[in-house]
Amino acid sequence: MIRKSDETPIGRVVATELKPATPHQFHFWTATDTSIGIGAIVKVTSPGSRAPESGRIVYGVVTDGFAYSDLATPLHDVIGAEGDPAQAAERPTERPEIRLWTAAVLRQIPEEPLQPVPLGAVHVAGDADVAAALRMDAYLNTAQPTAIPVGLYESGGLEAPVYLDADFLLGPEAAHLNISGVSGLATKTSAVEFLLSSIFQHYPAHRGSVAAVCFNVKGPDLLFLDQAGSLDDADRRRYNRLGIAPGPFERVHYYAPFKADGVNLNTLRTHADLARTVEPLVWGLTEVLDFAEVLLNRDDIDAKADAFIDFLSDRVVRREFEDGFGGDHRVETFADLERLFRGIFDGLELAGRGDIWRTHHIATIRKVRNRLGNVSTRCKGLVTDDGPASDLPWGRFEDRGVYVIDVANVDPLGQDLVFARVVSKLREHLERRDLGVDAVVVFVDELNKYAPADGTDTYVKKMLLDISERGRYLGLVLFGAEQFRSQVHRRVVGNAGTQVFGRMDSDELATPGYQVLSAATKIKLATLPVVELMVRHPHFTQPIFVRFPRPSVLRGRDGVERFSPAADLPFADAVGLQLVRLDPRVRTNQVKDLIAGHDEVDVRRALAAVRRERPADALATFRKRLGVRVGSEPARERSSVHPLGPIAEEPY
Amino acid sequence: MNPGRGWLDDLYASGVTPASFLPDASLGRQHDPDDTTVPGAAEVEMVEGADLEAHPVAPRAAPAAVSFLDGVQQWKVIGYDGVQPIALAYVAAAVRRRGFDRRLVTAACASRTLVIAPAQALAEQRRGVLEAAGLEAMPVEVDSATQPAQALEALRREVHRARAGLERKLGEQAAQALDREAWLVVDGQLAVSATLAKHPRAVGVIKSHGAQFLSGRHLERALTIAAEHRSSVFRVRGGHGRTEVDSWYLRLWPWEGRDLHYGLIRVEAARDPDPGIRAPGISSWLLAERAPLAAPDTRFDRLLYPIHDVEAYLRSRAPHDLLAPLASRLPQTGT
Repeated sequence: MIRKSDETPIGRVVATELKPATPHQFHFWTATDTSIGIGAIVKVTSPGSRAPESGRIVYGVVTDGFAYSDLATPLHDVIGAEGDPAQAAERPTERPEIRLWTAAVLRQIPEEPLQPVPLGAVHVAGDADVAAALRMDAYLNTAQPTAIPVGLYESGGLEAPVYLDADFLLGPEAAHLNISGVSGLATKTSAVEFLLSSIFQHYPAHRGSVAAVCFNVKGPDLLFLDQAGSLDDADRRRYNRLGIAPGPFERVHYYAPFKADGVNLNTLRTHADLARTVEPLVWGLTEVLDFAEVLLNRDDIDAKADAFIDFLSDRVVRREFEDGFGGDHRVETFADLERLFRGIFDGLELAGRGDIWRTHHIATIRKVRNRLGNVSTRCKGLVTDDGPASDLPWGRFEDRGVYVIDVANVDPLGQDLVFARVVSKLREHLERRDLGVDAVVVFVDELNKYAPADGTDTYVKKMLLDISERGRYLGLVLFGAEQFRSQVHRRVVGNAGTQVFGRMDSDELATPGYQVLSAATKIKLATLPVVELMVRHPHFTQPIFVRFPRPSVLRGRDGVERFSPAADLPFADAVGLQLVRLDPRVRTNQVKDLIAGHDEVDVRRALAAVRRERPADALATFRKRLGVRVGSEPARERSSVHPLGPIAEEPY
Repeated sequence: MNPGRGWLDDLYASGVTPASFLPDASLGRQHDPDDTTVPGAAEVEMVEGADLEAHPVAPRAAPAAVSFLDGVQQWKVIGYDGVQPIALAYVAAAVRRRGFDRRLVTAACASRTLVIAPAQALAEQRRGVLEAAGLEAMPVEVDSATQPAQALEALRREVHRARAGLERKLGEQAAQALDREAWLVVDGQLAVSATLAKHPRAVGVIKSHGAQFLSGRHLERALTIAAEHRSSVFRVRGGHGRTEVDSWYLRLWPWEGRDLHYGLIRVEAARDPDPGIRAPGISSWLLAERAPLAAPDTRFDRLLYPIHDVEAYLRSRAPHDLLAPLASRLPQTGT
């Protein structure tokens, strides 16, 4: 490890007519046993003609390497060995070899006038050189630094911390981060977890507070951020070098919708030791109606249906409303809405007023009723027919808090709804500056699915575009991840100020988006180890390879082994567990006795009410909300028109 | 040391007519006049049997430590004093040592930059200019009535001597510094230096065959030996090589279908009481030196790769502008 640049040159810049040195690229040779490799940062020094200090310093990153001997043609080797490869290995003299490297210029000092790289000595870069080469000195060594460690630049046993500029990572100068890489290596998730940890520890106080909202879209990836994971010595050394204290996140809040039974949470974090830490995510009509566009496809939402939904939203929901037929309504749930629709249809039929109600055709009303009525069925567990909602703590977000929303096992439609609503609410609150924090990092994996380059414009894609293009002014920052960057909407990836690449698929690297990278860099990208990344950042003129320590949280697959998910509980036990979570004094047997004979719908409604109110005595409130047991009534005989008597032969 | 161009301007100011002329063979010594022998000047004795015969040779690993000596010369005419040419010459020699890693590293290197001219062209004032620039002035005694072409030949010989002298000096130093098991291979005749010619582990490898010591049947047998064969050892006395040495021919590559000298080298080594025992060993490892091939050098069939390497090393260090034309050879407009 070095802190200071080694004064002994390791190479020399060379230039020929065919391979000249330019202001942006140069070539240098080194000894054959050099520690230099692709991605290494080097410093070229050239003493001035008048005084050494008047010379030029050029920093570059190695992008390609060549080795060759003085062999003019392979045939000469064959002839020399008389066609015998074994004999070639025994030749008395080894031909001289060259290690010729191509480097892209990172920075020139002085920056003006911009000139071709001088044919000077090449040195290995030290800590200060790396900081200067990557222009990190502008935000690292200032009165109010905004440096966020992203990893260690490592080359030949030497290493130096690399920092991102918070102003260009979380706004307002630039924002957003996009990470690409093949799936299955956990690089993308690990990198984001590490980076969030770094942000939480290094985001400068003068920039305000920050929180993260993470959508867990597959498996148990993000379900154990509050649990410590194992680190090896290399990881600890890297944490120490980066100035980050390893450890799990301290303020993690988990949210998951229910399963279809409405009482068991739809998540893998159901181990008895952890289940109490997961909050239900349940929405009702008022939460969903504004996002009807997410749930209903374009064929459903024509202009007329859209107008009727707007009418419901503006004039009906959460208001005292008279249907025009003498019925008074206050619509807060899907059940209330259904009662309104019935009132309208019955009223129109009885009044014989034709097919129009409040300028809306009955066919449009029937269509909207049908589609909205299906929402609670299609998103069962997330959207409730009846009862109050359970939502994220809007307005009470904690500084350095992580809010994980587990939608891994939710129907794709439900995932879209969750994503659209959460992001919309974040934007609303950030615009009003009443979220509780100044900036929020939203981590979305699988951008290939949510913001594909081709396909129809979905509501979610539009939202992601909106965040990408305008989020930085609000403090709404998108950390997106995907397997194939080329297949994500170009404005989503293009607006990401910081681009991170893990190990890439060779086919992906062959796409036009990677043409700026040299063949050697692509090869390196295709073989990157799990803990190494290539980073592009507005301050860096060339991509830089960095290694980061593994996140000090429990990996998803390790988490489910240590905290194996519990089986679904019977209805009564699940209700009991929910109440125990709210009030530890509650006994499951008490709950079982209480709900015996009650309809499950009533029990869920009462449970939801307790969850919303969070009373001191949960059982008492639950009992109160549940009400008295209503005995079953025998079905009444349906009144019907008496049949006509037998038809007489005489009709008159 | 880079003398710059100021001295040249001063030289021209003193009355020298500017010129830029590369004489034939100025880049090398393909036509080495010393490489011919005066008939009857050298005496030859067969020392490995009474008759010259061909002996098969099998390639064998070379000694662990072998040094290789070679030199280069470059020169050009830079002006005329009247009709007498004035030349700028660069001569250099190097010893490159091959160790256990089979790679060559420089053990010794020396060079000279000379201005060679007929003595009358190097007057006191001009010598002062050259000395001030750090250049060696080397006057050549030629008659003022000498034809320019003959004067040019005299300069060429002087360049050659300077190069050979440098090689000899470096070779003798290297030979004296050799370890007990180390060998020295010299590109050219060993006999030019008494020190080298008497050294038990110095070997001269001669690629050009202008100097022939054999005649008649022996010559025919020597020049037509098959690939991977050597001739019997013969002892050479006198001639321009003033020291007695043992010598033999060795064919590296088949010559049939090519020319008579293809792949043929002549080896010189110090006189040995039992040359028939030493020659097979030296021949075996010299045969192994066929690889790597010294191509694309046109003399690759006889040029050992390490010698080629020493040449490449010396040329890479030679002043790059020595041979650059000072002016276009096209006539100036209006002349």
